[in-house]
Amino acid sequence: MPLLDIKNLTLEIDTPLGWIKALDKINLSIDSSEVRALVGESGSGKSLVVKSIVGALPDRWKVTADRMNWKGRDLLSMSDSQRRAITRSEMSVVLQNPATSLDPSATLQEQIEESISDSQLDRGWFWQRRQQRRLIATQQLHKVGIRDHDVCLASYPHQVAEDISQKFALAMALVSNPKLLIADNPTMGMETTTKIQVLRLLAKLNKTRELSILFVSHDLLAISAMADTMTVLYCGQTVESGKMSQLKRRPLHPYTKALLDSAPSFRRDLPPKAALSSLDGTIPTLQHLPIGCRLGPRCPRAQKECVKMPDVRRIHEHYYACHFPLHRDKT
Amino acid sequence: MTPLLTVSNLSYCKKDKSWFGKNAGFRLDPLSFELKAGETMAIMGENGSGKSLLAKLLVGVERPNAGEILLNGEPLHHKRQRFQAIRMIFQHTKESLNPALTLGSLLEEPLILNTELDSRARKRKIEETLKLVGMLPEHQFFYRHMLSEGQRQRVAVARALILNPQVLVADEPFAALDPSVRSQTVNLLMKLQRDLGLGFIFISHNLGIVRHISDRILVLEEGKLVESGKTDVIFNWPKSDYTQRLIHAYQALISRDA
Ligand SMILES: Nc1ncnc2c1ncn2[C@@H]1O[C@H](COP(=O)(O)OP(=O)(O)OP(=O)(O)O)[C@@H](O)[C@H]1O
Ligand SMILES: Nc1ncnc2c1ncn2[C@@H]1O[C@H](COP(=O)(O)OP(=O)(O)OP(=O)(O)O)[C@@H](O)[C@H]1O
Ligand code: SF4
Ligand SMILES: [Mg+2]
Ligand SMILES: [Mg+2]
Repeated sequence: MPLLDIKNLTLEIDTPLGWIKALDKINLSIDSSEVRALVGESGSGKSLVVKSIVGALPDRWKVTADRMNWKGRDLLSMSDSQRRAITRSEMSVVLQNPATSLDPSATLQEQIEESISDSQLDRGWFWQRRQQRRLIATQQLHKVGIRDHDVCLASYPHQVAEDISQKFALAMALVSNPKLLIADNPTMGMETTTKIQVLRLLAKLNKTRELSILFVSHDLLAISAMADTMTVLYCGQTVESGKMSQLKRRPLHPYTKALLDSAPSFRRDLPPKAALSSLDGTIPTLQHLPIGCRLGPRCPRAQKECVKMPDVRRIHEHYYACHFPLHRDKT
Repeated sequence: MTPLLTVSNLSYCKKDKSWFGKNAGFRLDPLSFELKAGETMAIMGENGSGKSLLAKLLVGVERPNAGEILLNGEPLHHKRQRFQAIRMIFQHTKESLNPALTLGSLLEEPLILNTELDSRARKRKIEETLKLVGMLPEHQFFYRHMLSEGQRQRVAVARALILNPQVLVADEPFAALDPSVRSQTVNLLMKLQRDLGLGFIFISHNLGIVRHISDRILVLEEGKLVESGKTDVIFNWPKSDYTQRLIHAYQALISRDA
């Protein structure tokens, strides 16, 4: 049984221009100790997926799903407090703008120590336990690349630089030993050396503690070093998902291919300053979606049939939604 | 030929006013460099090494303690001239995008302040610029909170380009963009450089992009310039310890992938 299992997640939000479907039948599942990458164009809905999973959306927005289970229990029918209990102990999240999710009125020390549960401490007198808490917090900060732990812990959120609050949010998400880490662009803007340290740390936790990770990122190099599986979003829909190695070698969906082709680090033959490959045009707004396949107007392979929305098809564990997938011309 | 931008002995040192004040006690040692028209310079360095500070000094958001900045060989006297000629894309869009304004008004503001365009011409310019950065004319009616992180980043790029600057200073302009839009933006900037001779200074932790588009690199460490030179020289023969570590880390990541 997967740890997290989402089938046909749909999110409707109200905008000044009326209700729109920001997410449309998203499928996503994560097994124990699986690292899944979630990628897609800016504005395709990755952060909304993350926020739907942890319930960090305005109440009036409508989240529906055929299935949205955490270890077999339905998240959507749970009470708020039950859900919070899960996000506190088993499922940790780092949102895209971590600074905004910290409590402005408490020091960072208070916040991180609150996330350390009693079960992580040995028995002892209360002052010994206090010291243990402090020690666990400090060690965790070092692991994510914060060197000056004393200053960091004594500060309030507004007093630390942006990169520190980002690293801190990651430390806080990991300190409770979660089963699943959901991280929305956790290494964005991080110096390369720390980024690699963090990726190693996550890989190690994945091996030794079976930590599962939902890794939202634009960093294809990091993703391909880390992830077992990948889900690609475009315009609020899942367009392809499957094993990382397979998607990278033989992407079936034209958008996935365009995405992979556009990273210069993947293409070592490229002369300096040569134009990078990218899809023409831009992702449509949710208010004015094209009829049929949403990639249609930009897709190099589009044909007449594409005015009909493609169904999700499946070859073994590889899912895709396209009438004319790549590499399958004969069928 | 006079360089587009000449920076000599620029330095910054903030006296501690309050204990916790921003940049408390941070100093930037004197540094100098030149930028030619159409040239791209990348600034690299650890978090907190002073990159954003240097960028803010260049555009005049922060005032240097000493040193000089010349544009086309002339000192910059007028604020207005400077605002128009040297534009900045801030690292965090919350510093530059007012949440209470629609994107249309955000983009119109610099046009009203710095140009003589009438409202029809402004509207046309706004729609053109939105398209240029890969957004749609209808986005002008959106507010900041309705956009994803990467879309905000693109609006920031639009806001910087709308005045046709000579120098663009961009603080992490690509970090929030997905690879495909990132490539689009990079292509756009390279085209503007070829067509208009735009000088481009950017800060980035993305060594793949740095290597691909920059002519020269500055490396900062704790407010000191530790290394500067041609891009391929620095990637192939890094001198300082810090740069060596950085390049090795990057190469490790690439080879792990292969
Ligand atoms: N409050 C809102 N009101 C209206 N539209 C919104 C709102 N929040 C998000 N959207 C829209 O939902 C879409 C998805 O946004 P989301 O933030 O999930 O994108 P993303 O995939 O995380 O992008 P990025 O990679 O840039 O972070 C965007 O097109 C955005 O315009
Ligand atoms: N909000 C803040 N509060 C306190 N100190 C800050 C803040 N922002 C920056 N600083 C300090 O100012 C100095 C220079 O920071 P600057 O922002 O220029 O670094 P940077 O090289 O841009 O780092 P990054 O890669 O994280 O953007 C650092 O010592 C940093 O710790
Ligand atoms: S269905 Fe048609 S338009 Fe859509 S991705 Fe496939 S080929 Fe392109
Ligand atoms: Mg996002
Ligand atoms: Mg900075």
